[in-house]
Amino acid sequence: MTAVVEAVNLRKVYMLGKVPVEALRGVNLKVEEGEFLSVLGPSGSGKSTLLNLIGALDRPTSGKVLIDGADISTFNEDRLTDLRRKIGFVFQFFNLIPRFTALENVELPMAIAGLGKEERRKRAVKLLETVGLADRINHKPAELSGGEQQRVAIARALANDPRFLLMDEPTGNIDSKNASEIIELVERLNEEKGVTIIMVTHDQRLAKETHRTVHMLDGLIVDERVNKP
Amino acid sequence: MKPTDVWSYALSAIKLRKLRAALTTLGVVIGIAAIVALLSITQGLQTAIATQLQRGFATDALIVTAGGGLGADTGFSLLVNDTETISQVGNVTTALAIIQRVGYIKNAEGKARRVTIVGVDFKAYKAIYGSTFIAEDGADIPSKPENTAVIVGKRVSDPWGNGTRFCSKSDTVEVIWTNTTARPLRNESYTGMVVAVLQEVGGFSLGGPSDTSIYIPITQAQSFFRTDKCEIIIVKLKSDDKATIESTAKTIRSLFGGQVAVTSAAAVLSIISSVFSTMGLFLAGIAAISLLVAGIGIMNIMIVSLMERTREIGILKALGMKNRTVLLIFLTEAAIIGLMGAIIGVGTGYGLAELVVRIFANGGFGGGLRQGGQVAAANVVRITPVLTPTVFLGAIAFGLVVSLIFALYPAWRASRLKPVEALRYE
Ligand SMILES: Nc1ncnc2c1ncn2[C@@H]1O[C@H](COP(=O)(O)OP(=O)(O)O)[C@@H](O)[C@H]1O
Ligand SMILES: [Mg+2]
Repeated sequence: MTAVVEAVNLRKVYMLGKVPVEALRGVNLKVEEGEFLSVLGPSGSGKSTLLNLIGALDRPTSGKVLIDGADISTFNEDRLTDLRRKIGFVFQFFNLIPRFTALENVELPMAIAGLGKEERRKRAVKLLETVGLADRINHKPAELSGGEQQRVAIARALANDPRFLLMDEPTGNIDSKNASEIIELVERLNEEKGVTIIMVTHDQRLAKETHRTVHMLDGLIVDERVNKP
Repeated sequence: MKPTDVWSYALSAIKLRKLRAALTTLGVVIGIAAIVALLSITQGLQTAIATQLQRGFATDALIVTAGGGLGADTGFSLLVNDTETISQVGNVTTALAIIQRVGYIKNAEGKARRVTIVGVDFKAYKAIYGSTFIAEDGADIPSKPENTAVIVGKRVSDPWGNGTRFCSKSDTVEVIWTNTTARPLRNESYTGMVVAVLQEVGGFSLGGPSDTSIYIPITQAQSFFRTDKCEIIIVKLKSDDKATIESTAKTIRSLFGGQVAVTSAAAVLSIISSVFSTMGLFLAGIAAISLLVAGIGIMNIMIVSLMERTREIGILKALGMKNRTVLLIFLTEAAIIGLMGAIIGVGTGYGLAELVVRIFANGGFGGGLRQGGQVAAANVVRITPVLTPTVFLGAIAFGLVVSLIFALYPAWRASRLKPVEALRYE
């Protein structure tokens, strides 16, 4: 069985002026189909950098990212863009378009992919129902709570039927009650729909809810633990 | 992304900052309006003058005046019977002498008006200026008039244009001339009879009938002014093609040893016409600079918008939007503003032109152009602004293109943003 995502000796060096910053120093990771993986680590350990490389938002300095076995570092800009449509990203700060309603925000990735109006509207409504926001579809982000905004973002990430979900501290900006609701939703997506999920967090308790946790420190994976089968 | 989705996305971005978009649009409106106003006024002026000229000028006529070089007074004068020599030149059908003096006409009530007294052969004059040397009541202009016959221009008969006649057909009038060669100066006069009032000519005329002149038979003019000299000889040609005009003009010039100037009405027409179009283009060029200023405004707004929306662009790219779609969205935003500004600008510009023309019609241009010289006489020129399809479409295209050009750089920068960096942007 090939991994959905595989990182091979992944390195990323940022230039901070003339000073090189080694954000990743040789990361190896494999994520199987249907897995729910959590990435734990202190701030600055390179979690977001890893997620951005896997999500085709950035290119590694060296090493490989394989998605369904294909080395994406050989992809040109257009193919990377196409790939991004098949990856669902959920950010810490939601990153919704403020002037759009919840519905329009969920429709956006489908519009970008060239889907027709009727079809994407129907699908967006269904997705918002899935995340429990059926009665909030015409609200703008400013009219929604943090937890609700993150649900919209999750619905948006699911819009184009992604190969896997990448979540960068999805609960980092919401209170703990809403946070556990979000995690329940994500678990349900993973269990019921078999969505592969990689979630960055620095909350130990949330990490324990996932199948497997990798620990990062200073740009390296230093520990790995299976929580439940 | 579908074109309709690109369009509505761009529109939603514009709607977000309505006041800003309105002000940016206003810049384009002002630039386009200035261009359209200037072009349609000059175009209208050109059309008005050209049609008036064509009526007052005969395009198959040459005008011969004394004096070969620029301002060189050689003492040479044309004689009335030089027409006989000129008639012999090939391609010439008629040659007609004109004697002109400034004088007065006094009506039965003893009131006098200043006029240009023009001595011509009525029959030949009618042959050359068949469309303007016509009586207002349609009656014939006598070909063999009495010596006392006087034909008056429309503005002489009806000076105020309201039907209050200074003199009418069949009236007895006194023709007065101040003899400036006599010492002391003295007024000389004779009693004439108005045999016809000309229909209104309007505009300019070069040698042709004018609304502010009176016409007397050439023989009468010769004896009244006691002269054999004439100011102008008008030559009617068999054809008005350029080659005929040029070769005949040359022959006539050499006939008088280069001491005469030969002007063709067609040449004057084309010069005046080209002067106006050059002037129009020049003014529109100045107006175009204001549109460039509007373009810089667009660029400025787009750069501000680009910075405000950096994060948004990052989101779009993370969701899989292509660079060229981002470019297209920004260009569409500029196109919407440019198109809107240009359409409103064309309307405003034309309205402005109408307004300006109306203001000037109440005593603007008329005064300036009324300086009738010895040869050319001018009346009020009526102008209607002309918005040609070329100017209409050109102005809209220009507004659009300027907006797009200035949006190109910000749009390109937006399209080149790296998703990760754009998402990190605060
Ligand atoms: N664009 C960048 N330019 C320079 N340094 C960066 C950039 N992105 C991340 N870094 C640095 O790389 C390291 C890892 O960052 P990040 O992956 O965001 O950590 P985490 O998400 O675990 O907090 C940090 O030291 C951070 O300052
Ligand atoms: Mg991070």
